[in-house]
Amino acid sequence: MGFLVGRLLGLVPTLAGVVVVTFVLTHLLPGDPAVFFANSVTADAATIAAVRQKLGLDLPLWQQFFVYVGQLAHGDLGQSISTGQPVAADLLQRLPASLELTLVAFAIAIAVALPLGIAAALRPGSLLDHVCRVLSTAGVSLPTFVSGLLLIYLLYYLLGWAPEPIGRIDPFAIMPPRITGLLLIDTLLAGDTEGFGMAARQIVLPAVTMALFALAPLARMTRAAMLGVLSSEFIRTARANGLRRRTIIVSYALRNALLPIVTTLGMIFSNMLGANVLVERVFAWPGVGSYALDSLISLDYAPVQGFMLVMAGIFVLVNFVIDLLYAVIDPRTGLLTHA
Amino acid sequence: MTFNRRQGLKGVLGAAVGGAMGSAALPQEAAAQTRAETLRHVMGGTVNSLDPTAPGSTRESYGVAMSVYDRLASFGRKQLDGNWVFDLDNIRGELAEKVERSADGRTLTFHLRPDATWHDGTPVTAEDIKWSLDRAVLARSLAPSQLSSGSLTKAEQFSITGPRTVEVKLDQPDRLALANLCVPFAIMVNSTLAKKHATSDDPWALAWMKENTAASGAYMVETNRPGQQLILKRNEAWKGGAGGNLPFFKRIILQTVPEAATRSNLMERGDADLSIDLASSDIPMLQQRGKVKVVSIPATNAFNAIVFNTQMAPFDNVKVRQAIAAAIPYGDIFQAAQFNRGKALFGAHWTEAPSSDFPQAMPLNLDLDRAKSLMAEAGHANGFATTFSFATSYAPFAEPMAALVKESLAKIGIDVTIQKMPDSQMATMITEKRVPFFTDSGTAWLPAPDYFFRIYFTREQRWNFSSWNNPEVNALAAAARFETDPATYDAACKRMITLLGDQVPQIMLWQANTDAVMAADVNNYTYWFHRQIDYRDLKRG
Repeated sequence: MGFLVGRLLGLVPTLAGVVVVTFVLTHLLPGDPAVFFANSVTADAATIAAVRQKLGLDLPLWQQFFVYVGQLAHGDLGQSISTGQPVAADLLQRLPASLELTLVAFAIAIAVALPLGIAAALRPGSLLDHVCRVLSTAGVSLPTFVSGLLLIYLLYYLLGWAPEPIGRIDPFAIMPPRITGLLLIDTLLAGDTEGFGMAARQIVLPAVTMALFALAPLARMTRAAMLGVLSSEFIRTARANGLRRRTIIVSYALRNALLPIVTTLGMIFSNMLGANVLVERVFAWPGVGSYALDSLISLDYAPVQGFMLVMAGIFVLVNFVIDLLYAVIDPRTGLLTHA
Repeated sequence: MTFNRRQGLKGVLGAAVGGAMGSAALPQEAAAQTRAETLRHVMGGTVNSLDPTAPGSTRESYGVAMSVYDRLASFGRKQLDGNWVFDLDNIRGELAEKVERSADGRTLTFHLRPDATWHDGTPVTAEDIKWSLDRAVLARSLAPSQLSSGSLTKAEQFSITGPRTVEVKLDQPDRLALANLCVPFAIMVNSTLAKKHATSDDPWALAWMKENTAASGAYMVETNRPGQQLILKRNEAWKGGAGGNLPFFKRIILQTVPEAATRSNLMERGDADLSIDLASSDIPMLQQRGKVKVVSIPATNAFNAIVFNTQMAPFDNVKVRQAIAAAIPYGDIFQAAQFNRGKALFGAHWTEAPSSDFPQAMPLNLDLDRAKSLMAEAGHANGFATTFSFATSYAPFAEPMAALVKESLAKIGIDVTIQKMPDSQMATMITEKRVPFFTDSGTAWLPAPDYFFRIYFTREQRWNFSSWNNPEVNALAAAARFETDPATYDAACKRMITLLGDQVPQIMLWQANTDAVMAADVNNYTYWFHRQIDYRDLKRG
């Protein structure tokens, strides 16, 4: 228990640091938001000054910071100028979309990469190993927007198998009542199987694009970790003792290889959630990544800060969960002895 | 006839609706009908505000405001080379059935349509109009500075003179007062509804109107998911159209699709009906494949230019500017950067402007010998070094342009460093007048020559890109807006254009084509001054 509390307390300075850094970084951006937002040709200096005052940008930087921290203390992430909505509402609206896409892509990546990596490690130099290598090299070297556009061109434009690559659901469909915000779950909760099918078809292409990107590090890490463990002495002993092959691979080898794999998983998950802006843009997916990018381009500070804060929070949380998983997977880490 | 998933789905929806209304229409018929009467517009930007006057509202919001709100009056449209473009000189009433201008040009009287109603069914009153006009000049929004360009600045100028008449008084007979009441910022608002949502901090309901409408226009907002999609449905009670006609489309779906390549795919697959912001490099291919219709119209109220900061050495020397203007390979740049798609604003050979049209082709031609001797006269026979800047979003055409400028200016001894900057940074630098030599573009909602000059060539403000401060032009531009005599006005405009041609504070290059891509059966697309689609014009078949 002490371990848990200690770890949780350790998150506080991290998040405080994130608040400071996000604030400073966004305000270091070159360009004056007031000029950008008062962009009509007849906007004179007075209009620009009025906009600047409305945005609170006429105050000295340190005062702006305290205003920002004061807002945060009330759970207010500020107001987005470009969407005209409160940032918290925007993020809440869009986070489930990114989360759903990431989770599905993550599941696909794990389902393909783990077996592939294990199989490649079991038969190094075999055809399967080469397939694994080609796939992971391609996954790393193809930028996601290229693979995304390629898939759209092939499956939507040429073959017409995939639905139009816009958003999470058909524009004419009626959205299910929002419970979790994850369409795949909400449609099922509402008993709307047609809606579920529609949402599922819509998510396949972006999820596969994203999974391609995640597959590479995962498969390579699995293969490397498994190779290392498989050549260690306890595996040789287990083999010599005539244990079942399945027991050796799953219970002994995989369990021991799992630590680096779980670390990679954690990193990939956080990356996918925030950094896959390009997939979201290509598929017009209404997620947080494209939201943050648009805000950044238009010098809309509040959403960028809010996004960075939320992402940092998720990142920290994922790392925390991974730490806990370490303890479960490998008692030798000693993390749970105090529990 | 092929059926895709969408049509099938709409069939189901159509049948459901039809069934509920007790109609016996067959699903297929309903589907075909709904699809035919629905327009789907895909765009890269977003509609971030239903009130176009809100600071930060996007251009896409202006397009929506044109269809959702009415203004007192509207520009007409005319045919130009077989395409429809807006017509500043032909203004008709929209919410007003009749507009009268007094002989001295200082009073405008608007007679409201007797049958005009707001979307909630209540009649449009003179009080509503007065409140809307006051809002446009008093609220802290983008509207007051625009309307001031038509001498509309004070609430006292607007008065109710009868149950359905509103009068606008001007201190001076501003040529653009009426035109300013046709722009997206001059929306007419249901004041009873808006006032319910006004607060003491926000007497003009700016916050509420960003997400709600209080309008009388041709379309009503059906659903709005900000940043994703907006669905408009036709207002069957609308009377503001030319001849009182309803628009063709019953429903408009606007969707944000950030990736231009995805938009092209949707257009070619026939899932979307209209897009005006595809990648210009895709346009020739789309035309060639012929699955969609491409309507290319030069943006008649816009220009692209190479700009000198005339307050910064060495560009404060007119000879240096003239030398560079004679060393630009115009034809090559137009070809490489713009694929010759647009109208050239260079290549003329006059010394006195032949007409008062603006922008018009300027006396700009490549002549390296002249450039070299001008450089010598300016005292820069050995040349100098400078930076040529452009914003990232201009890269598709500015990159080839910059390379050609660099190459050509090297021949007269000028060493050019190319600098590419994020748009927001560039905007700030230009506003602060810290960029010496760059490319930029401008658009005027009201393309009267004096308006162009007032915005782009006078006063110390962002849009006077070159910080040009020519006393004669300043005086002419300030006086021309109130000039009632057409001949004097024409002469003043010609003189300003002549001075621009001689002093070259900026090198005019071209008016780029706007490429509207639409389904083959969509007709009547009009190029509007706000560079957005006016859904009220469009027709299918």
